[in-house]
Amino acid sequence: MLKASSLYMVIIIALVISLICSALISAAYFYRAQYQLHFQYDRLMNNCNSGIQILLNNGDSSYREPQALSLSGNPTDSIILQKYPWGIFDIGVIKTFSHRDTLWRVFSIANQIDSSKWSSVYLIDEDRPLSLSGKTSICGDARLPKAGVKTAYLDNQSYTGNEHLVKGHIFDSDRQLPPLAGPRLELIRRLFRQPEETGRRPAPSGGTTRSFRLSTRVIRLDDLTTLQNASFSGNLILYSDTTLTIDSTVSLQDVIVVAKSIQVKSGFHGHCQLYATDSLSVGSDCHFTYPSCLALFRSTAGVTDLPGRISLGEHSHVEGLIFTYEKQTGKLPPIIRLAKNTMVSGQIYSQGSLSLKEGVNIQGGVMTSRFLYASSITLYENYLVNTRIDLTTLSRYYLSSPLSPSAGATQHILQWLK
Amino acid sequence: MEAVIAMVIMVLVFGIAMMIYTNVTRLSLSVRKIRAQAILQEFLYQTAKKSSKDNQHIQVDEFEIEQKVSPFGPGTGLIQIELTAFGENHQQLAQLQQIISDANEAH
Repeated sequence: MLKASSLYMVIIIALVISLICSALISAAYFYRAQYQLHFQYDRLMNNCNSGIQILLNNGDSSYREPQALSLSGNPTDSIILQKYPWGIFDIGVIKTFSHRDTLWRVFSIANQIDSSKWSSVYLIDEDRPLSLSGKTSICGDARLPKAGVKTAYLDNQSYTGNEHLVKGHIFDSDRQLPPLAGPRLELIRRLFRQPEETGRRPAPSGGTTRSFRLSTRVIRLDDLTTLQNASFSGNLILYSDTTLTIDSTVSLQDVIVVAKSIQVKSGFHGHCQLYATDSLSVGSDCHFTYPSCLALFRSTAGVTDLPGRISLGEHSHVEGLIFTYEKQTGKLPPIIRLAKNTMVSGQIYSQGSLSLKEGVNIQGGVMTSRFLYASSITLYENYLVNTRIDLTTLSRYYLSSPLSPSAGATQHILQWLK
Repeated sequence: MEAVIAMVIMVLVFGIAMMIYTNVTRLSLSVRKIRAQAILQEFLYQTAKKSSKDNQHIQVDEFEIEQKVSPFGPGTGLIQIELTAFGENHQQLAQLQQIISDANEAH
Protein backbone atom coordinates (compact mmCIF):
# COMPACT_ATOMS: atom_id res chain seq x y z
CA MET A 1 0.00 0.00 0.00
CA LEU A 2 2.82 2.33 0.96
CA LYS A 3 4.83 1.45 -2.16
CA ALA A 4 1.92 2.11 -4.51
CA SER A 5 1.11 5.49 -2.96
CA SER A 6 4.75 6.59 -3.17
CA LEU A 7 4.67 6.28 -6.97
CA TYR A 8 1.46 8.27 -7.13
CA MET A 9 2.95 10.91 -4.88
CA VAL A 10 6.05 11.11 -7.05
CA ILE A 11 3.95 11.61 -10.16
CA ILE A 12 1.96 14.34 -8.44
CA ILE A 13 5.17 16.03 -7.20
CA ALA A 14 6.65 15.76 -10.70
CA LEU A 15 3.53 17.41 -12.12
CA VAL A 16 3.74 20.23 -9.60
CA ILE A 17 7.44 20.75 -10.34
CA SER A 18 6.79 20.75 -14.10
CA LEU A 19 4.07 23.36 -13.60
CA ILE A 20 6.45 25.53 -11.58
CA CYS A 21 9.15 25.09 -14.25
CA SER A 22 6.80 26.03 -17.08
CA ALA A 23 5.64 29.10 -15.11
CA LEU A 24 9.28 30.05 -14.60
CA ILE A 25 10.06 29.68 -18.31
CA SER A 26 6.94 31.69 -19.28
CA ALA A 27 7.76 34.47 -16.83
CA ALA A 28 11.34 34.68 -18.10
CA TYR A 29 10.12 34.70 -21.71
CA PHE A 30 7.61 37.49 -21.19
CA TYR A 31 10.02 39.51 -19.08
CA ARG A 32 12.66 39.29 -21.79
CA ALA A 33 10.15 40.13 -24.51
CA GLN A 34 9.00 43.18 -22.61
CA TYR A 35 12.55 44.29 -21.96
CA GLN A 36 13.47 43.92 -25.62
CA LEU A 37 10.41 45.95 -26.57
CA HIS A 38 11.37 48.64 -24.09
CA PHE A 39 15.01 48.60 -25.19
CA GLN A 40 14.02 48.84 -28.83
CA TYR A 41 11.65 51.71 -28.06
CA ASP A 42 14.39 53.55 -26.15
CA ARG A 43 16.78 53.17 -29.06
CA LEU A 44 14.19 54.33 -31.59
CA MET A 45 13.38 57.29 -29.33
CA ASN A 46 17.06 58.22 -29.17
CA ASN A 47 17.21 58.09 -32.95
CA CYS A 48 14.04 60.20 -33.12
CA ASN A 49 15.58 62.77 -30.80
CA SER A 50 18.68 62.81 -33.00
CA GLY A 51 16.46 63.41 -36.02
CA ILE A 52 14.62 66.21 -34.24
CA GLN A 53 17.92 67.95 -33.48
CA ILE A 54 19.08 67.55 -37.09
CA LEU A 55 15.86 69.09 -38.43
CA LEU A 56 15.76 71.90 -35.87
CA ASN A 57 19.33 72.88 -36.70
CA ASN A 58 18.75 72.72 -40.45
CA GLY A 59 18.20 76.09 -42.05
CA ASP A 60 18.20 75.23 -45.74
CA SER A 61 16.05 73.10 -48.03
CA SER A 62 18.29 70.01 -47.99
CA TYR A 63 15.57 67.90 -46.34
CA ARG A 64 12.71 69.10 -48.58
CA GLU A 65 12.57 65.54 -49.97
CA PRO A 66 12.83 62.55 -47.57
CA GLN A 67 16.43 61.63 -46.85
CA ALA A 68 17.64 58.44 -45.22
CA LEU A 69 20.47 58.64 -42.72
CA SER A 70 22.29 55.85 -40.98
CA LEU A 71 23.42 57.11 -37.61
CA SER A 72 26.92 55.91 -36.77
CA GLY A 73 26.97 53.75 -39.90
CA ASN A 74 24.97 51.03 -38.19
CA PRO A 75 22.20 49.73 -40.50
CA THR A 76 19.90 49.16 -37.51
CA ASP A 77 20.04 52.86 -36.65
CA SER A 78 18.35 54.21 -39.75
CA ILE A 79 16.17 57.27 -39.88
CA ILE A 80 14.35 59.07 -42.67
CA LEU A 81 14.05 62.84 -42.31
CA GLN A 82 11.93 65.37 -44.12
CA LYS A 83 11.27 69.05 -43.57
CA TYR A 84 8.83 70.91 -45.77
CA PRO A 85 7.15 74.30 -45.58
CA TRP A 86 3.61 74.60 -44.28
CA GLY A 87 2.50 78.18 -44.78
CA ILE A 88 4.32 80.37 -42.31
CA PHE A 89 5.77 77.36 -40.48
CA ASP A 90 7.71 74.20 -41.35
CA ILE A 91 6.76 70.58 -40.82
CA GLY A 92 9.30 68.01 -39.69
CA VAL A 93 8.70 64.30 -40.34
CA ILE A 94 10.90 61.63 -38.80
CA LYS A 95 10.64 57.93 -39.43
CA THR A 96 13.03 55.74 -37.51
CA PHE A 97 13.03 51.99 -37.85
CA SER A 98 14.86 48.94 -36.69
CA HIS A 99 13.92 45.55 -38.15
CA ARG A 100 10.11 45.52 -38.08
CA ASP A 101 9.67 48.26 -35.49
CA THR A 102 8.98 51.77 -36.71
CA LEU A 103 8.49 55.01 -34.86
CA TRP A 104 7.12 58.21 -36.40
CA ARG A 105 7.30 61.74 -35.15
CA VAL A 106 5.61 64.62 -36.96
CA PHE A 107 5.76 68.17 -35.69
CA SER A 108 5.62 71.77 -36.80
CA ILE A 109 8.65 74.00 -36.39
CA ALA A 110 8.82 77.69 -35.50
CA ASN A 111 11.43 80.17 -34.35
CA GLN A 112 12.17 81.62 -30.99
CA ILE A 113 11.62 85.37 -30.72
CA ASP A 114 14.74 87.51 -31.03
CA SER A 115 14.42 89.82 -28.03
CA SER A 116 16.65 92.46 -29.66
CA LYS A 117 14.12 92.90 -32.49
CA TRP A 118 11.01 92.35 -30.41
CA SER A 119 8.83 95.28 -29.40
CA SER A 120 5.28 95.92 -28.31
CA VAL A 121 4.80 98.63 -30.93
CA TYR A 122 6.77 99.37 -34.08
CA LEU A 123 5.39 102.45 -35.77
CA ILE A 124 7.31 103.79 -38.74
CA ASP A 125 8.65 107.32 -38.56
CA GLU A 126 6.52 109.73 -40.58
CA ASP A 127 7.57 112.78 -38.53
CA ARG A 128 4.52 112.74 -36.30
CA PRO A 129 3.99 111.36 -32.83
CA LEU A 130 1.83 108.57 -31.53
CA SER A 131 -1.05 109.96 -29.48
CA LEU A 132 -2.76 108.11 -26.65
CA SER A 133 -6.21 108.78 -25.28
CA GLY A 134 -8.57 107.14 -22.80
CA LYS A 135 -7.38 104.15 -20.82
CA THR A 136 -4.63 103.11 -23.21
CA SER A 137 -1.61 101.18 -22.07
CA ILE A 138 1.54 100.06 -23.88
CA CYS A 139 3.72 97.60 -21.97
CA GLY A 140 7.08 96.51 -23.29
CA ASP A 141 9.79 98.18 -25.33
CA ALA A 142 8.51 100.26 -28.24
CA ARG A 143 10.01 101.53 -31.46
CA LEU A 144 8.35 104.84 -32.22
CA PRO A 145 8.88 107.88 -34.46
CA LYS A 146 11.40 110.44 -33.25
CA ALA A 147 8.46 112.77 -32.50
CA GLY A 148 7.71 110.37 -29.65
CA VAL A 149 4.49 109.65 -27.83
CA LYS A 150 2.06 112.12 -26.23
CA THR A 151 -1.35 112.22 -24.65
CA ALA A 152 -4.39 113.55 -26.49
CA TYR A 153 -7.97 114.58 -25.79
CA LEU A 154 -10.24 112.74 -28.17
CA ASP A 155 -13.95 111.93 -28.26
CA ASN A 156 -14.44 113.74 -24.94
CA GLN A 157 -11.81 111.52 -23.36
CA SER A 158 -8.49 112.52 -21.92
CA TYR A 159 -5.67 110.09 -21.31
CA THR A 160 -6.26 108.16 -18.07
CA GLY A 161 -3.61 105.48 -18.37
CA ASN A 162 -0.30 105.07 -16.59
CA GLU A 163 1.87 108.16 -16.11
CA HIS A 164 4.59 106.36 -18.07
CA LEU A 165 3.00 106.36 -21.47
CA VAL A 166 5.11 103.37 -22.47
CA LYS A 167 6.16 100.91 -19.78
CA GLY A 168 9.50 100.04 -21.29
CA HIS A 169 12.28 101.56 -23.32
CA ILE A 170 11.47 103.68 -26.34
CA PHE A 171 13.72 103.32 -29.37
CA ASP A 172 13.61 105.22 -32.63
CA SER A 173 11.92 103.52 -35.53
CA ASP A 174 12.91 103.70 -39.18
CA ARG A 175 10.95 105.15 -42.04
CA GLN A 176 10.22 101.66 -43.32
CA LEU A 177 8.92 98.59 -41.57
CA PRO A 178 11.45 95.80 -41.10
CA PRO A 179 10.84 93.53 -44.11
CA LEU A 180 9.23 90.11 -43.91
CA ALA A 181 11.56 87.23 -44.73
CA GLY A 182 11.88 86.98 -48.53
CA PRO A 183 12.37 83.20 -48.86
CA ARG A 184 9.28 82.52 -46.76
CA LEU A 185 7.24 85.00 -48.81
CA GLU A 186 8.27 83.10 -51.93
CA LEU A 187 7.05 79.84 -50.35
CA ILE A 188 3.73 81.47 -49.45
CA ARG A 189 3.42 82.86 -52.98
CA ARG A 190 3.58 79.29 -54.28
CA LEU A 191 0.44 78.45 -52.30
CA PHE A 192 -1.52 80.69 -54.63
CA ARG A 193 -0.49 78.78 -57.72
CA GLN A 194 -3.44 77.10 -59.37
CA PRO A 195 -3.39 73.39 -58.47
CA GLU A 196 -3.10 70.87 -61.31
CA GLU A 197 -6.28 69.87 -63.07
CA THR A 198 -5.42 66.26 -63.84
CA GLY A 199 -6.49 63.42 -61.62
CA ARG A 200 -8.15 65.54 -59.02
CA ARG A 201 -11.06 64.27 -57.03
CA PRO A 202 -14.20 66.27 -56.20
CA ALA A 203 -14.07 68.19 -52.93
CA PRO A 204 -15.46 66.10 -50.07
CA SER A 205 -18.31 68.24 -48.77
CA GLY A 206 -18.28 66.51 -45.36
CA GLY A 207 -14.58 67.09 -44.85
CA THR A 208 -11.53 64.88 -44.66
CA THR A 209 -8.41 64.20 -42.64
CA ARG A 210 -4.90 63.68 -43.94
CA SER A 211 -1.76 62.83 -42.05
CA PHE A 212 1.31 65.04 -42.36
CA ARG A 213 3.31 61.88 -43.06
CA LEU A 214 1.68 61.73 -46.48
CA SER A 215 2.05 64.16 -49.36
CA THR A 216 -0.05 67.31 -49.19
CA ARG A 217 -3.49 67.03 -50.70
CA VAL A 218 -4.83 70.12 -52.47
CA ILE A 219 -8.62 70.28 -52.57
CA ARG A 220 -10.09 72.59 -55.17
CA LEU A 221 -13.38 74.06 -54.07
CA ASP A 222 -14.63 74.94 -57.55
CA ASP A 223 -18.36 74.76 -57.03
CA LEU A 224 -18.27 74.93 -53.28
CA THR A 225 -18.38 78.58 -52.27
CA THR A 226 -19.65 77.91 -48.76
CA LEU A 227 -18.19 75.38 -46.37
CA GLN A 228 -20.58 74.16 -43.70
CA ASN A 229 -21.02 71.10 -41.50
CA ALA A 230 -17.61 69.83 -42.52
CA SER A 231 -14.41 68.90 -40.75
CA PHE A 232 -11.00 69.30 -42.39
CA SER A 233 -7.83 68.50 -40.54
CA GLY A 234 -4.21 67.79 -41.26
CA ASN A 235 -2.16 68.02 -44.40
CA LEU A 236 -4.76 69.72 -46.60
CA ILE A 237 -4.79 72.88 -48.67
CA LEU A 238 -8.27 74.10 -49.50
CA TYR A 239 -8.03 76.19 -52.65
CA SER A 240 -10.67 78.47 -54.09
CA ASP A 241 -10.27 81.02 -56.84
CA THR A 242 -13.28 82.99 -55.73
CA THR A 243 -14.90 84.10 -52.48
CA LEU A 244 -15.09 81.35 -49.89
CA THR A 245 -17.44 81.46 -46.91
CA ILE A 246 -16.57 79.37 -43.88
CA ASP A 247 -19.51 78.68 -41.63
CA SER A 248 -19.22 78.35 -37.85
CA THR A 249 -20.21 74.68 -38.19
CA VAL A 250 -16.93 73.96 -40.00
CA SER A 251 -14.01 72.51 -38.10
CA LEU A 252 -10.57 73.42 -39.45
CA GLN A 253 -7.52 71.93 -37.72
CA ASP A 254 -4.01 72.71 -38.99
CA VAL A 255 -5.18 73.13 -42.60
CA ILE A 256 -4.32 75.92 -45.03
CA VAL A 257 -7.08 77.79 -46.84
CA VAL A 258 -6.21 79.82 -49.92
CA ALA A 259 -8.80 81.93 -51.68
CA LYS A 260 -9.38 85.24 -53.40
CA SER A 261 -11.56 86.35 -50.52
CA ILE A 262 -12.42 84.55 -47.31
CA GLN A 263 -15.38 85.23 -45.08
CA VAL A 264 -15.52 83.48 -41.71
CA LYS A 265 -18.94 83.41 -40.10
CA SER A 266 -19.50 84.43 -36.49
CA GLY A 267 -18.83 81.83 -33.83
CA PHE A 268 -16.14 79.90 -35.69
CA HIS A 269 -13.55 78.00 -33.64
CA GLY A 270 -10.42 76.31 -34.97
CA HIS A 271 -6.76 76.67 -35.76
CA CYS A 272 -5.66 77.08 -39.33
CA GLN A 273 -3.88 79.39 -41.75
CA LEU A 274 -6.08 81.56 -43.97
CA TYR A 275 -4.54 83.31 -46.98
CA ALA A 276 -6.50 85.70 -49.17
CA THR A 277 -5.54 88.07 -51.96
CA ASP A 278 -8.40 90.58 -51.72
CA SER A 279 -10.09 90.45 -48.35
CA LEU A 280 -10.37 88.34 -45.24
CA SER A 281 -13.33 88.98 -43.03
CA VAL A 282 -13.83 87.30 -39.66
CA GLY A 283 -17.19 87.59 -37.91
CA SER A 284 -17.81 88.20 -34.24
CA ASP A 285 -17.06 85.77 -31.39
CA CYS A 286 -14.63 83.75 -33.48
CA HIS A 287 -11.67 82.07 -31.84
CA PHE A 288 -8.56 81.09 -33.79
CA THR A 289 -6.42 79.10 -31.40
CA TYR A 290 -2.65 79.01 -31.49
CA PRO A 291 -0.97 78.60 -33.93
CA SER A 292 -3.17 80.33 -36.48
CA CYS A 293 -2.46 82.79 -39.25
CA LEU A 294 -4.64 85.31 -41.05
CA ALA A 295 -2.91 86.78 -44.06
CA LEU A 296 -3.59 89.11 -46.92
CA PHE A 297 -1.03 88.40 -49.58
CA ARG A 298 -0.61 90.13 -52.92
CA SER A 299 2.41 89.22 -54.95
CA THR A 300 1.11 91.21 -57.93
CA ALA A 301 -0.53 94.59 -58.18
CA GLY A 302 -4.18 94.56 -57.19
CA VAL A 303 -6.63 94.19 -60.05
CA THR A 304 -9.00 96.68 -58.47
CA ASP A 305 -8.23 99.92 -56.71
CA LEU A 306 -9.83 98.60 -53.53
CA PRO A 307 -7.38 98.14 -50.70
CA GLY A 308 -6.74 94.69 -49.33
CA ARG A 309 -8.46 94.24 -46.00
CA ILE A 310 -8.43 91.95 -42.98
CA SER A 311 -11.21 92.58 -40.51
CA LEU A 312 -11.97 90.98 -37.17
CA GLY A 313 -15.45 91.12 -35.70
CA GLU A 314 -16.31 92.06 -32.12
CA HIS A 315 -15.12 89.78 -29.31
CA SER A 316 -13.08 87.67 -31.69
CA HIS A 317 -9.78 86.24 -30.51
CA VAL A 318 -6.81 85.30 -32.70
CA GLU A 319 -3.76 83.51 -31.32
CA GLY A 320 -0.92 83.67 -33.81
CA LEU A 321 0.06 85.97 -36.63
CA ILE A 322 -1.98 88.46 -38.65
CA PHE A 323 -0.16 90.07 -41.54
CA THR A 324 -0.66 91.95 -44.79
CA TYR A 325 1.83 91.94 -47.62
CA GLU A 326 1.78 93.66 -50.97
CA LYS A 327 4.75 93.28 -53.27
CA GLN A 328 3.88 96.43 -55.16
CA THR A 329 2.30 99.03 -52.95
CA GLY A 330 -0.91 100.30 -54.51
CA LYS A 331 -2.55 103.68 -54.16
CA LEU A 332 -4.48 102.46 -51.15
CA PRO A 333 -2.41 100.41 -48.74
CA PRO A 334 -3.84 97.25 -47.18
CA ILE A 335 -5.63 97.65 -43.88
CA ILE A 336 -6.24 95.49 -40.83
CA ARG A 337 -9.38 96.40 -38.88
CA LEU A 338 -9.94 95.16 -35.36
CA ALA A 339 -13.46 95.73 -34.03
CA LYS A 340 -14.42 96.49 -30.44
CA ASN A 341 -13.15 94.13 -27.73
CA THR A 342 -11.16 91.94 -30.08
CA MET A 343 -8.11 90.21 -28.74
CA VAL A 344 -4.93 89.17 -30.52
CA SER A 345 -2.35 87.00 -28.74
CA GLY A 346 0.70 87.04 -30.94
CA GLN A 347 1.86 89.38 -33.66
CA ILE A 348 0.33 91.85 -36.08
CA TYR A 349 2.31 92.99 -39.08
CA SER A 350 0.45 95.57 -41.08
CA GLN A 351 2.27 96.84 -44.11
CA GLY A 352 -0.39 99.50 -44.47
CA SER A 353 -2.72 100.71 -41.73
CA LEU A 354 -4.00 99.16 -38.55
CA SER A 355 -7.42 100.35 -37.49
CA LEU A 356 -8.26 99.73 -33.84
CA LYS A 357 -11.57 100.26 -32.12
CA GLU A 358 -11.97 100.79 -28.41
CA GLY A 359 -11.35 97.86 -26.14
CA VAL A 360 -8.85 96.09 -28.39
CA ASN A 361 -6.43 93.98 -26.40
CA ILE A 362 -3.18 92.88 -28.04
CA GLN A 363 -1.01 90.47 -26.07
CA GLY A 364 2.15 90.62 -28.10
CA GLY A 365 3.64 92.95 -30.67
CA VAL A 366 2.37 95.23 -33.41
CA MET A 367 4.27 96.45 -36.45
CA THR A 368 2.47 98.95 -38.59
CA SER A 369 2.97 101.91 -40.87
CA ARG A 370 0.05 103.77 -39.39
CA PHE A 371 -2.58 103.46 -36.66
CA LEU A 372 -6.10 104.53 -37.50
CA TYR A 373 -8.89 105.40 -35.13
CA ALA A 374 -12.32 106.15 -36.54
CA SER A 375 -14.81 108.08 -34.43
CA SER A 376 -18.36 108.58 -35.62
CA ILE A 377 -17.37 111.47 -37.86
CA THR A 378 -13.60 111.66 -38.06
CA LEU A 379 -10.68 109.42 -38.92
CA TYR A 380 -7.59 110.00 -36.80
CA GLU A 381 -4.14 108.80 -37.77
CA ASN A 382 -1.69 107.46 -35.19
CA TYR A 383 -4.14 107.70 -32.30
CA LEU A 384 -4.80 104.90 -29.84
CA VAL A 385 -7.96 105.10 -27.74
CA ASN A 386 -8.79 102.67 -24.93
CA THR A 387 -6.40 100.12 -26.37
CA ARG A 388 -4.11 97.76 -24.53
CA ILE A 389 -0.90 96.52 -26.15
CA ASP A 390 1.05 94.36 -23.74
CA LEU A 391 4.11 92.41 -24.71
CA THR A 392 4.64 91.01 -21.23
CA THR A 393 1.39 89.04 -21.15
CA LEU A 394 2.34 86.96 -24.18
CA SER A 395 3.20 83.38 -23.22
CA ARG A 396 6.92 82.79 -22.78
CA TYR A 397 6.48 79.69 -24.91
CA TYR A 398 5.20 81.70 -27.87
CA LEU A 399 7.10 80.88 -31.04
CA SER A 400 7.14 83.04 -34.11
CA SER A 401 7.08 82.22 -37.78
CA PRO A 402 10.39 82.60 -39.62
CA LEU A 403 8.47 85.08 -41.79
CA SER A 404 8.37 87.64 -39.00
CA PRO A 405 11.16 90.23 -38.68
CA SER A 406 11.24 89.45 -34.94
CA ALA A 407 12.06 85.77 -35.48
CA GLY A 408 15.37 84.56 -34.10
CA ALA A 409 17.59 81.90 -35.59
CA THR A 410 16.83 79.17 -33.04
CA GLN A 411 14.11 76.77 -34.08
CA HIS A 412 11.87 74.80 -31.74
CA ILE A 413 9.06 72.33 -31.94
CA LEU A 414 5.81 74.25 -32.18
CA GLN A 415 3.24 71.47 -32.11
CA TRP A 416 3.11 67.69 -32.32
CA LEU A 417 1.07 66.56 -35.29
CA LYS A 418 -0.34 63.31 -36.61
CA MET B 1 10.81 -2.04 -6.99
CA GLU B 2 8.19 0.65 -7.02
CA ALA B 3 10.13 2.69 -4.49
CA VAL B 4 13.22 2.51 -6.67
CA ILE B 5 11.28 3.70 -9.72
CA ALA B 6 9.76 6.49 -7.64
CA MET B 7 13.18 7.54 -6.47
CA VAL B 8 14.62 7.52 -9.99
CA ILE B 9 11.71 9.62 -11.26
CA MET B 10 12.19 12.04 -8.38
CA VAL B 11 15.88 12.39 -9.13
CA LEU B 12 15.20 12.92 -12.84
CA VAL B 13 12.45 15.44 -12.22
CA PHE B 14 14.54 17.38 -9.73
CA GLY B 15 17.53 17.22 -12.03
CA ILE B 16 15.58 18.60 -14.99
CA ALA B 17 13.96 21.24 -12.76
CA MET B 18 17.33 22.39 -11.49
CA MET B 19 18.68 22.57 -15.05
CA ILE B 20 15.72 24.68 -16.14
CA TYR B 21 16.05 26.97 -13.11
CA THR B 22 19.78 27.43 -13.68
CA ASN B 23 19.35 28.20 -17.37
CA VAL B 24 16.50 30.63 -16.80
CA THR B 25 18.46 32.42 -14.09
CA ARG B 26 21.64 32.50 -16.15
CA LEU B 27 19.97 33.74 -19.32
CA SER B 28 17.62 36.19 -17.66
CA LEU B 29 18.32 39.91 -17.88
CA SER B 30 20.93 41.41 -15.73
CA VAL B 31 19.61 44.03 -13.35
CA ARG B 32 22.96 45.77 -13.65
CA LYS B 33 22.60 46.11 -17.42
CA ILE B 34 19.14 47.61 -17.05
CA ARG B 35 20.41 49.97 -14.39
CA ALA B 36 23.39 50.95 -16.55
CA GLN B 37 21.05 51.69 -19.45
CA ALA B 38 18.87 53.88 -17.24
CA ILE B 39 21.91 55.73 -15.89
CA LEU B 40 23.12 56.42 -19.43
CA GLN B 41 19.73 57.88 -20.38
CA GLU B 42 19.82 60.16 -17.36
CA PHE B 43 23.42 61.09 -18.07
CA LEU B 44 22.58 61.98 -21.66
CA TYR B 45 19.69 64.15 -20.51
CA GLN B 46 21.98 66.01 -18.12
CA THR B 47 24.74 66.37 -20.72
CA ALA B 48 22.35 67.92 -23.24
CA LYS B 49 21.64 70.70 -20.75
CA LYS B 50 25.31 71.42 -20.07
CA SER B 51 27.14 74.09 -22.00
CA SER B 52 30.43 72.18 -22.36
CA LYS B 53 30.42 68.72 -23.86
CA ASP B 54 33.83 67.03 -24.02
CA ASN B 55 35.28 63.54 -24.01
CA GLN B 56 35.42 62.31 -20.43
CA HIS B 57 35.36 59.35 -18.04
CA ILE B 58 33.03 59.50 -15.06
CA GLN B 59 32.36 57.04 -12.27
CA VAL B 60 28.69 56.75 -11.36
CA ASP B 61 28.08 54.28 -8.53
CA GLU B 62 29.69 51.03 -9.62
CA PHE B 63 29.71 51.99 -13.31
CA GLU B 64 32.41 53.72 -15.27
CA ILE B 65 30.87 55.91 -17.96
CA GLU B 66 32.83 56.90 -21.02
CA GLN B 67 31.65 59.88 -23.04
CA LYS B 68 32.88 60.38 -26.60
CA VAL B 69 31.93 63.54 -28.47
CA SER B 70 32.41 64.10 -32.19
CA PRO B 71 31.02 66.77 -34.55
CA PHE B 72 28.10 65.71 -36.72
CA GLY B 73 28.54 67.15 -40.18
CA PRO B 74 30.29 70.43 -40.93
CA GLY B 75 28.58 73.63 -39.83
CA THR B 76 25.46 71.95 -38.49
CA GLY B 77 25.98 73.00 -34.88
CA LEU B 78 25.38 69.39 -33.88
CA ILE B 79 27.50 66.85 -32.07
CA GLN B 80 27.27 63.10 -31.87
CA ILE B 81 27.58 61.88 -28.33
CA GLU B 82 28.34 58.25 -27.51
CA LEU B 83 27.99 56.99 -23.96
CA THR B 84 29.23 53.59 -22.83
CA ALA B 85 28.80 52.11 -19.37
CA PHE B 86 31.42 49.62 -18.13
CA GLY B 87 31.17 47.34 -15.12
CA GLU B 88 33.84 45.38 -13.32
CA ASN B 89 36.78 44.15 -15.41
CA HIS B 90 35.90 46.83 -17.98
CA GLN B 91 32.99 44.73 -19.18
CA GLN B 92 30.65 46.72 -21.44
CA LEU B 93 27.15 46.80 -20.00
CA ALA B 94 25.27 49.34 -22.09
CA GLN B 95 25.81 51.80 -24.90
CA LEU B 96 23.83 54.75 -26.15
CA GLN B 97 24.38 57.32 -28.85
CA GLN B 98 22.49 60.39 -29.90
CA ILE B 99 22.92 63.60 -31.87
CA ILE B 100 22.37 66.71 -29.83
CA SER B 101 22.72 70.41 -30.34
CA ASP B 102 26.05 71.89 -29.34
CA ALA B 103 24.23 74.86 -27.81
CA ASN B 104 22.73 74.79 -24.36
CA GLU B 105 19.07 73.67 -24.32
CA ALA B 106 17.59 76.69 -22.66
CA HIS B 107 14.09 76.97 -24.05
